[in-house]
Amino acid sequence: MTALRTGIAQFCTLAVCGVLLGAFYEQFAGAVLPCPLCMLQRMAMVLCAAGPAWILALSLRRRVGPDDYARGYGASVLGAVLGAAVSARQVLLHIEPGDPGYGEAVLGLHLYTWAFVVFVVVLLVSGLHLMLAMPAKEERLPWQGASRVVVLVLLAITALNAVLVFALAGFHAYLPDDPTGYRLFEDLGWSTPSE
Amino acid sequence: MAALIFVLLTAMLVAMWKGKDGLATILFLISLVAVALLFNHHITDSLGLSL
Repeated sequence: MTALRTGIAQFCTLAVCGVLLGAFYEQFAGAVLPCPLCMLQRMAMVLCAAGPAWILALSLRRRVGPDDYARGYGASVLGAVLGAAVSARQVLLHIEPGDPGYGEAVLGLHLYTWAFVVFVVVLLVSGLHLMLAMPAKEERLPWQGASRVVVLVLLAITALNAVLVFALAGFHAYLPDDPTGYRLFEDLGWSTPSE
Repeated sequence: MAALIFVLLTAMLVAMWKGKDGLATILFLISLVAVALLFNHHITDSLGLSL
């Protein structure tokens, strides 16, 4: 059961990292620049992944107990509730018949619809884990090398997002509703502003 | 604003990595509130209600 709990924490963190990498792919290969609501969903996904990553980070230093699991998956629930609200808002913005939606559809659904699905799954997994898979006492988690890599991958993706969103927003307080280019490069005169 | 929140999130993960759990908790809650406020701004801005 300890191995299962470790596997769930690693899988949940990596799954969210995979979704964030998919968003990067869409941004660079699909050339669809993220809107403000897309960035808010990315932030909420990092908050969701921070919960299980927290448990893994703790397990690198000491034994983890029920209170650590409760804190980690409680954090995931908070992030998922916020993320689900943001993605539901974006789904509702494009719900009218004939509306093409924002960006390209992936497997028939737009990214914000997939994001809503991800947030609901995070809520379900966190709730089920808190109900059914809590340890009775403190335990030492296995696969510490993999846990170390998983936490570092999440950290790297979050830092990369900070750089990317700065490039998108430039020296402006907010992102444009419908971004057409990287405003930092336009502000610095490295590229011409696009309409 | 969005870049600042991602910096906060990165700092939170670094605090977790370094074992500063109290700081990580505070940064998590600040990030959560900041994301909620930014979301609130984007909702109310289109209605002309944003500060």
